[in-house]
Amino acid sequence: MSLLSRGICRGLLVAGATLLATSAFAQMEIKVIAPAAPGGGWDQTARSIQQALIAEKLVKNAQVINIAGAGGTVGLAQFVNGAKGDGNQLMVNGFVMVGAILMNKSPVSLSQITPIARITEETQVMVVPANSPIKTAKDLAELVKKDVAKVTFAGGSAGGVDHIMAALFVGAAGADASKVNYVAFSGGGESLAAILGGKVTAGISGYGEYEGQIKAGKLRAIGVTSPQRLPNADVPTFKELSIDLVLTNWRSVFGAPGISDAQKKTLAELVDKLVKSNSWKDILKQKGWDDAYLPGEPFAKFLADEQTRVGNVMKTVGLVK
Amino acid sequence: MDALASLIHGLAIATQPMNMLYALIGVLLGTAVGVLPGIGPALTVALLLPITFKLDPAGSLIMFAGIYYGGMYGGSTTSILINTPGESASMVTTLEGNKMAKAGRGGPALATAAIGSFVAGTLATLGIVFLAPWLVNVAVNFGPEDYFALMCVAFITVSATFGDSPVRGLTSLCIGLTLGLVGIDKLTGQARLAFGVPDLLDGIEVTTLAVGLFALGEALYVASRRHLVEEKLEPVRGALWMTKADWSRSWKPWLRGTMFGFPIGALPAGGAEIPTFLSYSTEKRLTKHPEEFGHGAIEGVAGPEAANNASAAGTLVPLLTLGLPTSATAAMMLAGFQQYGLNPGPLLFAERPDLVWGLIASLFIANVMLLVLNLPLVGLWVRLLAIPQSWLYAGILVFATMGTIAAKPSVVELSMLAGFGVMGFLMRRFGYPIAPVVVGLILGPVAEAQLRRALQISLGDPMVLLQSPMSATLLGIALLALIAPFALNGMSRFKASED
Amino acid sequence: MDTASERRPDTAGMLIAGVLLLIAVVIFWDTSALQLAPTYGVGPKATPYVIATGMAVLAAGNFWLSWRGDYPERESFDPKAIVLILGGLAALIAIIGLGGGFIPATAVLFAATATAFGRRAVHIDLAIGLALGFIVFLLFDKLLTLALPAGPIERLL
Repeated sequence: MSLLSRGICRGLLVAGATLLATSAFAQMEIKVIAPAAPGGGWDQTARSIQQALIAEKLVKNAQVINIAGAGGTVGLAQFVNGAKGDGNQLMVNGFVMVGAILMNKSPVSLSQITPIARITEETQVMVVPANSPIKTAKDLAELVKKDVAKVTFAGGSAGGVDHIMAALFVGAAGADASKVNYVAFSGGGESLAAILGGKVTAGISGYGEYEGQIKAGKLRAIGVTSPQRLPNADVPTFKELSIDLVLTNWRSVFGAPGISDAQKKTLAELVDKLVKSNSWKDILKQKGWDDAYLPGEPFAKFLADEQTRVGNVMKTVGLVK
Repeated sequence: MDALASLIHGLAIATQPMNMLYALIGVLLGTAVGVLPGIGPALTVALLLPITFKLDPAGSLIMFAGIYYGGMYGGSTTSILINTPGESASMVTTLEGNKMAKAGRGGPALATAAIGSFVAGTLATLGIVFLAPWLVNVAVNFGPEDYFALMCVAFITVSATFGDSPVRGLTSLCIGLTLGLVGIDKLTGQARLAFGVPDLLDGIEVTTLAVGLFALGEALYVASRRHLVEEKLEPVRGALWMTKADWSRSWKPWLRGTMFGFPIGALPAGGAEIPTFLSYSTEKRLTKHPEEFGHGAIEGVAGPEAANNASAAGTLVPLLTLGLPTSATAAMMLAGFQQYGLNPGPLLFAERPDLVWGLIASLFIANVMLLVLNLPLVGLWVRLLAIPQSWLYAGILVFATMGTIAAKPSVVELSMLAGFGVMGFLMRRFGYPIAPVVVGLILGPVAEAQLRRALQISLGDPMVLLQSPMSATLLGIALLALIAPFALNGMSRFKASED
Repeated sequence: MDTASERRPDTAGMLIAGVLLLIAVVIFWDTSALQLAPTYGVGPKATPYVIATGMAVLAAGNFWLSWRGDYPERESFDPKAIVLILGGLAALIAIIGLGGGFIPATAVLFAATATAFGRRAVHIDLAIGLALGFIVFLLFDKLLTLALPAGPIERLL
């Protein structure tokens, strides 16, 4: 028994030591705020940042804090109110938060926090089950034009990137985007099951999430939203099918509100080192995320454009009055 | 049979001494975090995942499996000992488990939970080996209308938790349903009953409600009556271990619980709670000791605990065969896979059988470790109840609030916890059953969302509920379960329960 | 559960019935303010209306129960204990809300609850609570990187 318990102790020490084993020269203790519950995209991004920061010894310590709720707006509100001037915090957010802020009539907005950089993006894909009579995005566009109500799209939560893409597709196909029949599911798993089971006409998701199904021939990918074809997949873009639909689900990091220029510069440098590190590149490869690093002013401008576009779609679909 | 050979190979790897040690550490850590009310297996895995980053793939996967099972078992332990469900799936366990603990039978309750989890986990693992491809087809063809029908069946089972008055039971249920309305409507994105409070937008956390009603409510109630009845807990009365009668009353519920848990867990939106409800109400109907239900019937612990564990294994079916993470915990497991550049999906079994079977074998080993670790500890756990009442409840409140503080550190959430505590106290005082509130909060939103999805796809045609054979069958079962007691007993049971 | 002599209207029960009716009204009122309806299927208003109706019916049912006096008999209770525990919770919320940190908040809750359960050694209980909070904080925040609220004491660790 004593041998066993000594073994346990040693194991615990190993586990403990590996947690604490960071070098002393990088002094920052970074808090990475994930405005979502564990398991989702923002949480995984935050945990990947944590993992890479520690592995590269860029900081003394990094902690992920989950503040879930309402498309991230609960986390945003807490960040705006609670992190003022704190140069040691980073918040992960992205495309979905832009819509959530509008939809939930959030009292705080992205303009109140400090944009650092866009870091990753995921291409969106539209799929149909392998046995569907729909072969191409053109076929689906025809169906939509004929009777928009009968074409059901499955995807994530209402007002999210999938919903916006469905509306944009219906609009681009020449039908009334306000009539889109979008069925919101609470998780990627549930909507995938509905697509595979043929309960809905088509499904929408991030490409990475359905890649396995597509490669296994269970789902047919009829279009991706990137401007160019993905390097590792033989799926046409909507653009080349002359359906005007370009969209990526980007993720970004922000600093706290009211931080000094020096603090902002430090964070920007940290993020710059992070995204250029090998650990980060390995993570991107693992997770199937694309590098979309866009720091500083260009990111601020990109953000403004996306806010306008999302706002317009939300009004069309009737998610915002 | 290829599958079996692969499993045996996986077992050989998982039983290497170093890997066994990792499993043990994982189970320990998982239990340590999992006992915190409000921190379920998903968060436990999320928190401890970084630790596994540093190990080699096999060791990491095995520690991971240990954390997962440890986190699940930790929730049951608190349910039984201190009437505080660690997560929503172990809520049902409190109903009989805590009564047993108070009667000095905490030992057998913990033991039947641990052994039942082990039995269910083992059977469900075999289920993955042999039934996965078949089951996943059924699961994928389960549409929104079928889920709605399943929810109807589950709703019928709530009556098993009603106690002696249908009116009071329904009132509790309706309060739960009302709480379930709070938050953003999943289909149109509008806030209901949130009154402009951002913390309410995502709805009411089941664990906050359960911990408030059960743990805080109980503490307030006991404290307020202390001058009347000095409740003296005897940690052990009779045998610490399960008696022969306990065994013979437990084994059938274990098996039946597994039968509920595994297939429903395999459904993409099945969840772990519904099988525990179904199991509890089934055991209550089938038991030869109906008088013990509500006062500590061992069947009421054995069945739901087995169902809970089997459903956890069930979620692996869509995860491994389709790459479908159907629960937060499964999503975390996916993250665990991705550490090794794996994307679970239809090709995973073909491409990396070693790791898949390694994981399944690890789960099996973790399950064994859990048993090895916990059975000897049952005596120790039960001794916790020997702590003086004042310190015991003080400690319970500290851990109950800490779970909420760690999971959602906001003043609003903590205030809700306190509010639910007061509600739990009042409900106890005025004789309203507690469990239906939680059941309503869990089932209500799912039933609504699935019904609305079904009607959205059918463009508003309600016949869709009867056109699906699965849905029609389930609705038939619900109807039967509803009228059978009346038909069998000719209203007499209803009358008796009303008075 | 009751004897015939006790079957007279129960005021507390009627109060409960009133609260249930109030809840039903609030649900109706809140739901009627929803503006957006989906293009297809059932909207977000249907379920709340059903539940509100159910609640109103149950309010009537509870009223009937209390009219018959069909409520469990209530024993006297010790309001001091309730106030102490709720006070401890309120203090915990306040300390955390104001940035006092996890350890002192835990200590206060521990001591308040122990006192509510009849102990008369506040100083010792505070010390135990502090020690408990300290151990828990070290274990979970430092070793397992679970973020717990930090105040002045925690930042020293």
